[in-house]
Amino acid sequence: MSERDIGDVLLQVDSISLSFGMMKVLDNISFDVCEGEIRSIIGPNGAGKSSMLNVINGFYHPQEGSITFKGETRKQMAPHRAASQGIARTFQNIALFKGMTTLDNIMTGRNLKMKTNLFWQALHIGPARQEELENREAAEKIIDFLEIQAIRKKPVGKLPYGMQKRVELGRALAAEPDLLLLDEPMAGMNTEEKEDMCRFILDVNSEFGTTITLIEHDMGVVMDLSDRVLVLDYGKQLSDDVPDKVRNNQDVIDAYLGVPH
Amino acid sequence: MSPEFLNTIEVILNGLMAGVMYSLVALGFVLIFKASGIFNYAQGVMCLFAALTLVGFQSGQIPFSHLINAIFDTNLHHWGSGLHSVLAILLTIVVMIGFAYIVERYVLRHMVNQEPIIMFMATIGLAYFMEGFGDLMWGANIKSLQVGIPSGGSLWWEDLTRGWVTEGTNYPGMYIDLLDVWATGIALTLVIVLTLLSRYTGTGRALRAVADDHQAAMSVGISLRVIWVIVWSVAGIVALVAGIMWGSKSGVQFSLSLIALKALPVLILGGFTSIPGAIIGGLIIGVGEKLFEFAIGPLIGGATENWFAYVLALIFLMFRPQGLFGDRIIERV
Repeated sequence: MSERDIGDVLLQVDSISLSFGMMKVLDNISFDVCEGEIRSIIGPNGAGKSSMLNVINGFYHPQEGSITFKGETRKQMAPHRAASQGIARTFQNIALFKGMTTLDNIMTGRNLKMKTNLFWQALHIGPARQEELENREAAEKIIDFLEIQAIRKKPVGKLPYGMQKRVELGRALAAEPDLLLLDEPMAGMNTEEKEDMCRFILDVNSEFGTTITLIEHDMGVVMDLSDRVLVLDYGKQLSDDVPDKVRNNQDVIDAYLGVPH
Repeated sequence: MSPEFLNTIEVILNGLMAGVMYSLVALGFVLIFKASGIFNYAQGVMCLFAALTLVGFQSGQIPFSHLINAIFDTNLHHWGSGLHSVLAILLTIVVMIGFAYIVERYVLRHMVNQEPIIMFMATIGLAYFMEGFGDLMWGANIKSLQVGIPSGGSLWWEDLTRGWVTEGTNYPGMYIDLLDVWATGIALTLVIVLTLLSRYTGTGRALRAVADDHQAAMSVGISLRVIWVIVWSVAGIVALVAGIMWGSKSGVQFSLSLIALKALPVLILGGFTSIPGAIIGGLIIGVGEKLFEFAIGPLIGGATENWFAYVLALIFLMFRPQGLFGDRIIERV
C-alpha cells in the first residue's frame, strides 16, 4: 500500500493516562496517526482499546496527557466539539437510532452541516429548504456508496446485524470526517460480510482520503488493512510498528498466547 | 333516543375533553423523560408558574412588589393597566424559554451522568424553589385568568340535542362547556405541530436521536445542552398551555400545581416514552373516571373521581408495567 500518500501527523496522542477510581485503564500511551493512514489498535480483551477511542472523541477525560488534532492541543473536550473538529466514529455495540429509518440515521450524521435554526426549518422555506435538500443529496450519495438503497426507508432496529454495522458506518461518513474511528467494525460478521466491510474501509480511505483508526480482533484483517499497528495490553503500550514487525514481536505473541506476567 | 342514552353520551364527551386536559400535562412529562430520562417532578409547578406569569403580565403587576415594598418601604403594585393577552402570552413564552436555559445552566449541567433518582430529587428541589419563587414574584393570592377563550355551556348544542330525545320526555339538552371544546382544539393543534416538527425538521431529528441514544447522538456532534434547553423550553410552552386551560377553568392558585399528580396515572397507562400514549392514556382516564362516577358512583357513595385513576393505574402496573405504548422493559441477565 506504499503507493498511497501518507501526509503529516493528523492526530498526536501524548502520554495519555486514564483511570477509573483505582483501576488504571490506560497507562502513559503515546502514538500518532498521519493523514491518509489506516491505523489499527489491537490487544487482548480489556487492553484499553475502546477506552483509547473514547478519549480521542471526548467521551472520556484522561487524568494525564494531551491530544493534538489538526494542530490544536487539548486536555479535555466535549464529544460534540470533537465531532465539529472532524472526528466521527462507530461503536463496538452498534449505537444506531433504532426507531429511525436508515435515511434518517444517515441524515443525523449531517447534523453539523445544518446551520439554519428551528424557526426556518419549521416554515420549510428559503435557506432551510435549500439546506435540507443539499444534505439529503449528500446522504443519498453515501447510501449509494455503501450499496444500501434497498433499506433506505426501513427502521434500522429491524435490520440484520451486518446491515446495521454498515448503516452506522454510513452515519459516521455522512459527517465527512477527517478522522474516522471504527470500534470493531467486523465483530460478529460472517466471512462475506467481513470482506464487504474491508472493501468499504479501503474505498473510504482511497476515494475520500479519510484517515482511519480502527480496533479489530481479526488478525488477518488487521494485518491486511493497516499501515501501522499499535498493540495495547492491560493499558500499557506493547508495540507500535508496521504489521510485519508487530507480527514477529515476542511481547505481542506472549500477550496473545497468555504468558504469565 | 332515550334521555338515559343521551346522558351517557354527554358523560363520555365530557370525559374525553377532561382527558385532553390530563394529556396536556402528561405530554410535558413525556417530552422531558424521552430526551433526558428525567422524571420532571416540577412539571406541575411549571404550569402554575407559567399561568402566574401570564396573569402578572396581563394585569400589569410589578414582579417582586411585595419584596420591594418590604425592603424600601414603598407602595408599588402595578405599572399600568397591563398588556393585551396575545402580547402577554408571547412574553410568558420568552420567560419559559429563559427558565429552560437557567435550569440547564445551573441544574442539569452539573448532573450529567448521575443516577435517574438523583436527577429526580433535583427536580423536586426545583419544584419547591419555583413554587416559592412564583409566590415571591407575583404574590400568593388566587387570581382569575381570562385570555378571551369563551366559556360556559353551549346553548346551540343544548338546543340541538334537546330535539334528539323521544317525544314526550323531559330532557334539558346536553351540557358541554365551550372552554373544554376550545381546550381540546388547542391541545390537538399543539400535538400535531409538535409531531410535524419532530418528524420533518433537522432539529426534530436531533431530538429523536438524543431520545434514542445519548452517546451516539453526541458522536455525530449533537450538543446535549442545546437539546435540553430546547426540550425544557417546549415543555415550558406545553405547561403554559395547560396552565391557561386549567387556570381559566378554576383560577390560578397553588392547587394548579397538583394537576401533575393527575398526570401520573396517565403516564402509567400510556407509557413514559410515548407521545401518542400520553394522549390516549389521558383520554382513557378522562372517560373512565367520568363513566365510573356516572354508573357506579351513586351505588357506592360517589366521589370516585378522586381515586379511580390511581386504582386503574395500579391494575395496569400489575399487568403491563411499561404502559400501553411504552418501550418494553427488557433486563438482560
